Amino acid sequence: MPAHDAPPAAAHEPARPWDVSVRARTALDAFEHLVGGIGTAILALIMLLWLVFTAAACLFGAGLFLVPGTLRALRAVAGRERVRLSRWGPEVIGPGPSPTGLRQAVADPATRREVGWVASHALLGTVLGLVGLTLPLTSATDAAFPLWWSFVPPSEATPSLGLWTVTDWPGAFAVSLLGIGWFAVTLAVAPGMARLQAWPGRRLLTPPPGTDLVTRVAELTATRAAALDAHATELRRIERALHDGTQNRLVAVTVLLGASRRAVSRGSADADALLERAQDAAEQALAELRAVVRGILPPVLADRSLTDALSGLAGSCPVPCRVDADVEGRFAASVEATAYFVVAEALTNVTRHSGARSASVTVRHRDGRLWLRVTDDGRGGADEHRGSGLAGIRKRVEALDGVLTLASPPGGPTTLEAGLPCGS
Amino acid sequence: MRIVIAEDDPLLREGLALLLRAEGLDVVATAGTPDAFLAAVDEHRPDLAIVDVRMPPTHTDEGIRAAVEARRRQPGLAVLVLSAYVEQAFATDLLADGSARLGYLLKERVGRVEEFLTALERVADGGTAIDPEVVAQLFARTRPDTRLDRLSPREREVLALMAEGLGNAAIAERLVVTDGAVHKHIRSIFAKLDLAPADGTDRRVAAVLRHLNDAHRRA
Repeated sequence: MPAHDAPPAAAHEPARPWDVSVRARTALDAFEHLVGGIGTAILALIMLLWLVFTAAACLFGAGLFLVPGTLRALRAVAGRERVRLSRWGPEVIGPGPSPTGLRQAVADPATRREVGWVASHALLGTVLGLVGLTLPLTSATDAAFPLWWSFVPPSEATPSLGLWTVTDWPGAFAVSLLGIGWFAVTLAVAPGMARLQAWPGRRLLTPPPGTDLVTRVAELTATRAAALDAHATELRRIERALHDGTQNRLVAVTVLLGASRRAVSRGSADADALLERAQDAAEQALAELRAVVRGILPPVLADRSLTDALSGLAGSCPVPCRVDADVEGRFAASVEATAYFVVAEALTNVTRHSGARSASVTVRHRDGRLWLRVTDDGRGGADEHRGSGLAGIRKRVEALDGVLTLASPPGGPTTLEAGLPCGS
Repeated sequence: MRIVIAEDDPLLREGLALLLRAEGLDVVATAGTPDAFLAAVDEHRPDLAIVDVRMPPTHTDEGIRAAVEARRRQPGLAVLVLSAYVEQAFATDLLADGSARLGYLLKERVGRVEEFLTALERVADGGTAIDPEVVAQLFARTRPDTRLDRLSPREREVLALMAEGLGNAAIAERLVVTDGAVHKHIRSIFAKLDLAPADGTDRRVAAVLRHLNDAHRRA
């Protein structure tokens, strides 16, 4: 690493190795990593047992059904470690989607390396993590030995490792010194242990040497093309709305104004009627412009979160409506705008057609999609082919490559569910 | 003058009909789709058709294609195309077979009723009406290495007005010069654009078309 972008000294390599505070901070970081490592190590341990079980089951044929789920779980567990490692070191880039069959999995180098990581991290990671947890506790109990040794039965008055039995005060203070020694050892070895614990992941969860990230690039290219495509569709929709709505209304305004001027110059009495029609047309133009603007990016989304915006929608809905949103952070503007549009249109339909007494909106972020569900207890029987509301919703959702399902049996209830890809 | 209007926006269609009827013109039919328009042309044999470029089903150039088809069915039908925006390709498609009895105007020109009516009459009488905006784009897009570059600024102004479909007298009036001066500019334009007098074609139209095509090829 070049000198000019070296991290602050405390991060990894203390510039003043004997400065205790710097040492302590480094050790504290390492301690945090070790404890975090225990989490993924336990996951890896469970995964290892499950892999063994699946492999054994495969010998009898029944395990083949478990393979796809197991592979997905393997990738998910490895993914957790990748995220953890990426937080405090160079980013660990994962492979694309997991293989689905046994044969592809065996042929897939990334999967083989993940299996290797599961085995090594399950054992090494757990042991290092537990030792890392025990060391500070040991040094603390030993350092405090003189405070508590006289209160325990003489046979149990031993240092943490039970090396010898203490019978007098000098011995007790010796144990205390031992505790301080343990503390020094902890400071000295913790960073190395954290690095060692992370080593299998950094080694095996990165793309194997020689892969040139071709699939990764292909995947990014595909998603990017899809995003651009959705963007173009969206622009076309806006252009059409502006052209067929607002622009035509404004042209009508100029035509009617021209006609009324002629009427005035002729001294005809039609002028007032023409002006009134011109005003109507101008008002329509404004209304359509508002609708277009709201459709591009609802102003409320510009300065508040999606959850807030949806709560606002629910609050202004004449049918009592509850919002249950369990999402954090922001999504792409197009996703938020579409989500807002879908809920707004769905609630309009609920109000106008369902006769419902209550409605609810559920928002979840799952499997890389933002899921929206709008339910009401009305009379049901909603039909996508009658009325433009539902067709408009489908168009917006599909422009983003999303999915839309509608269940509305006669007698209700009606449930509309939309899933919008949100790239994470 | 018997007129058929093809425009898919109802408000605009009715507004146009209202305006023209108030001016004492005979709007015999209005249509909202290309098919209805062609049926109306067949039925009423109008003198002039006013056609919107964007019409159902795809809202791209159905209007232009309907206008071309209407002129095939009824040669000599005067057509005034209205467009929400300037599209060079539409203008050249329309003018490919000569510019007599053709007009291409932006929709908002309709609001300037007097000028709109003048353009309407000019087209019905066998002339041409091209929107100043179309002409301006034509000049803006032309690259330095074309023949248009040989023209002086004044000659360009004259060509632009010719392209709009104005006659010599109208050009002289617009530029506040004498008829003789306009004549001199036009002769100079023809010479610079290599349009020989013995050609037999309408050199005014040829001059305009040459550069419509020029600009279109480059666009």
